Amino acid sequence: MGEKTDVWQGTLALMVLKTLEMLGPLHGYGIARRIEMTSGDLLSVNYGTLYPALLKLEQEGYIDSEWGVSDNNRKAKFYKLTRAGRKQLAREAREWSQATAILARFLVAGEERS
Amino acid sequence: MRGMRAWFLRLRNFFSGARGAEQDFAAEMQSNLQLHIEENLRRGMGAEEARRNALMRLGGVAQTEEIVRDRRSLPWMESFAQDFRFAVRMLLKNPGFTVTAVFILALGIGANAAMFSVVRAVLLRPLAYSQPDRIVRVATLWKNSGHMGSVSAPDFHDWHDQSSAFEHMAIYRNDEIPVSVGAGANATAEFSMATAISFDFFECFGITPAVGREFTSDELKVGGAGAAIISYGFAVRNFGEPQLALGKAVVVDGKSLDIVGVMPPGFAFPEKTDVWLTAGIFGEETPSRSAHNYRVIGKLKDSVQLAEAQTQMTAIGARLEAQYPDSNKTKSVAVTRLRDFLVSDYRLTLLVMLAAVGLVLLIACANLANMLLARAVGRTREIAIRAAIGAGRGRIVRQLVTESVVLALGAALVGVAVAYWGVKTMVALAPQDVPRLSEAGIDGGVLLFALAISLLASLVFGLAPALQVLRVDLNSALKQSVRRAGGGTLADRLRQGLVVAEIALSVILVAGAGLLIKSLLALQNVQLGITSERIVMAETSVPSVDLDSAKRGIRFYTQLLSELRAVAGVRNAAATTMIPGYTSSNGIYFVDHLPTNFDITGPNAIFTVMTPGAFATMGIPLHAGRDFTDADGYDAPFTAVINQALARRTFPNEDPIGHVIFCGLDSMNPMKIVGVVGNVRQDGPASEPEAEIYMPYLQHPQPATNMRVIVRTDAEPGVITAAMREKMRVISPDVPAKFSTMEQAMSENIAAPRFRTLLLGIFAGLAVCLALAGVYGVMSYVVGQRANEIGLRMALGASPGEILRLVLRQALMLAGLGIVIGFAGAAAVTRLLASMLFGVKPGDPATYAAVIGIVLAAALLASYIPARRAMRVDPMVALRYE
Repeated sequence: MGEKTDVWQGTLALMVLKTLEMLGPLHGYGIARRIEMTSGDLLSVNYGTLYPALLKLEQEGYIDSEWGVSDNNRKAKFYKLTRAGRKQLAREAREWSQATAILARFLVAGEERS
Repeated sequence: MRGMRAWFLRLRNFFSGARGAEQDFAAEMQSNLQLHIEENLRRGMGAEEARRNALMRLGGVAQTEEIVRDRRSLPWMESFAQDFRFAVRMLLKNPGFTVTAVFILALGIGANAAMFSVVRAVLLRPLAYSQPDRIVRVATLWKNSGHMGSVSAPDFHDWHDQSSAFEHMAIYRNDEIPVSVGAGANATAEFSMATAISFDFFECFGITPAVGREFTSDELKVGGAGAAIISYGFAVRNFGEPQLALGKAVVVDGKSLDIVGVMPPGFAFPEKTDVWLTAGIFGEETPSRSAHNYRVIGKLKDSVQLAEAQTQMTAIGARLEAQYPDSNKTKSVAVTRLRDFLVSDYRLTLLVMLAAVGLVLLIACANLANMLLARAVGRTREIAIRAAIGAGRGRIVRQLVTESVVLALGAALVGVAVAYWGVKTMVALAPQDVPRLSEAGIDGGVLLFALAISLLASLVFGLAPALQVLRVDLNSALKQSVRRAGGGTLADRLRQGLVVAEIALSVILVAGAGLLIKSLLALQNVQLGITSERIVMAETSVPSVDLDSAKRGIRFYTQLLSELRAVAGVRNAAATTMIPGYTSSNGIYFVDHLPTNFDITGPNAIFTVMTPGAFATMGIPLHAGRDFTDADGYDAPFTAVINQALARRTFPNEDPIGHVIFCGLDSMNPMKIVGVVGNVRQDGPASEPEAEIYMPYLQHPQPATNMRVIVRTDAEPGVITAAMREKMRVISPDVPAKFSTMEQAMSENIAAPRFRTLLLGIFAGLAVCLALAGVYGVMSYVVGQRANEIGLRMALGASPGEILRLVLRQALMLAGLGIVIGFAGAAAVTRLLASMLFGVKPGDPATYAAVIGIVLAAALLASYIPARRAMRVDPMVALRYE
């Protein structure tokens, strides 16, 4: 349980940052839907995990939030990437792809031997 | 970095309460819900379906809010703040308990903080010089006695030239002498500490004058013009401002010296020096290797350790000993860190006092633990209820510990006030010569110390009651009545153990204080050999430059004394160079004939020069022969009076009167012994009387220019002082005088023992009071607990007297156990005091008997009130309670 959450939490922050980079300012609902959609509905994002992650990112200064008006004229709180957030996204994305690349090599190597 | 930022935001939210954030969050959730519903509608769901689906996906809003709230602020801080508020409320609800607890603890913390402040100022704080740890005192080490003393000039030069461990080594001598400022009729001479230096003196400290400059080599050389550098304080006192002192002059020993510099504030080495002089103005240094007239200070090279320097100097000392056996036999060299040397007299005293206040704090903690235990038992039900509605045990313990911490912090606040007052009192009571004591005060360091020991104390006294809670059985605690619940035998035994510990600790303190008090009494009762009551003294100095001017100068005393004897109320007047505790001159003596080879290991005596009538004035008995008279003049045959100690040593089986004695005070003239007087304890009450040679002032004019005028009087000292001052002004206005009484001078002799006795006495008194409170608390509790049993006994016919004995017996058992344990502790601890004791052994039975008496009496006193209460227990009430 604990392990799964950790990975999930770590990757969730990255997904949020990436989503905001792609789509610009977005409300919580939009972020959740977008992540679900991008994952091909393999992931289900509930607010109980999303909101602590958003708050943490905001406290760390990677994202900012303010109230605005949505496409269909509804009041909503919009989150947007800060400059620090952009840098953090670049860094994390790099680290993540490095990690997956290394892991991928291991997995391929294992397959070849067997 | 980012983590810090987040932490600060959370901390801010913790303090601001973040109320707006919760409403904001609710609005956001609502908006998310609406967005979801609209999207569902767009996808073609029915209104009801769209809403239900959205609500389902939204999940538990309350749960989400909970998680977010924890993330928003610092939850553990919130629960601490809650505990804190609750603790303050609980303590305020019970003001009697709180005030008592805070007061007891504040005494302990305050005493400790005050003592810490003093210890830090005197023992710990580095001297305010550059590289203070490298500054050392280099002294002559007398190998036979271990005594470290002054240095002869030739020895110093050999040390200086042959050693390589020192960056600088300087020779100096200091004395309290008349220094006058100003010129002509406005000149005022005052006794000031003056230090004559030659070279490298200020370099040892790495200090230069704040205003002006150091001495030039021209000024320093023998026969040069000379110059003076003055202390900051002296400059301000005499010239208003340091700058104004430059270009002015001080007159010392008849010589006018230009002031070329003012040292920075705070620099007054050695011994509160006001004026530093170029030694060259006094002529050549004393060339004799056995004239130990100087002191030496040095600065070690950066690369050299103290031990290396010591090894090197020991080797040089051994070489000199072989080279000059006549003068250097049994001499070696000692190198001591300056700070260690300065505080050597007080280190042990202060450390003992620090230990003593530590014990007082421990007793205070034991008391508090006891009070909290009693309260925890009373609160068993409250705690059981809190546990029953879901508080974890950890949470409850934390709550109780928080209460202890709050108590301790309150006590620390009050304690700092106690410490402030304590430090002031200690500085006022302490002997004058404790170095740097005046720097003691309450500052950040002391506050931190008070905070630290209060938190430590809260752990000590708070843990036992808190852990007691863990043992409480929920079920039985809820079922039983308050009175009986939770007070298991373990808690009772713990409480009694604490009281036994308190008594044991106070036994140690009372025993220590008792031993010191007995020593002090012994010191005060020692016969010094003189009668010090009603003697007014004036320390005086007659200006002179050579033998002739000295001969003229001392007529001042002849005239002054004859006039003073005519003043009403004066019984006797005389002058002498010595009073007990303030000897300045001693050396070897020879009898009958002067040897060709001086053996410097021969017997020594103290040399005193005096006017006729001085023995009678001081109350020193004449055992044989006669006192000096005015006929013992410079041109008459030289005479001397010896004391019994010298007579016994040198003339064991014959009459010393008529023998001839020689000593090198100012000449080697043969002196005929004309009288024998009683012994005087010259080095204060703690030392044995030494051999002495007294000489008439007219035959030794140069030493006689600095004498104390002593007047035995029936009148008020103030009246006589005024009369003396007036007479002196008329006879010779340029003679400075410093007035005091013999009793003042004698009490300075025992200022240090009196100070430590007073301090330890206060701490022991505190300890006994606290122990008394502890015994009272426990016995009251025990009586309350045993009310049923007592009621039953009374119902069965026990008399009130039997009940009284029952309670007192239990108190005596606790006290007895405490005394036995305390004795074991005291036997070990009082041995530390051995070097402070005089006329009493660490295991003195009379002192211990007194300790038993005091502690038992205190224990009985403390249990008497609870015992009385037990006697008045109404059997019916007690029985009905069951």
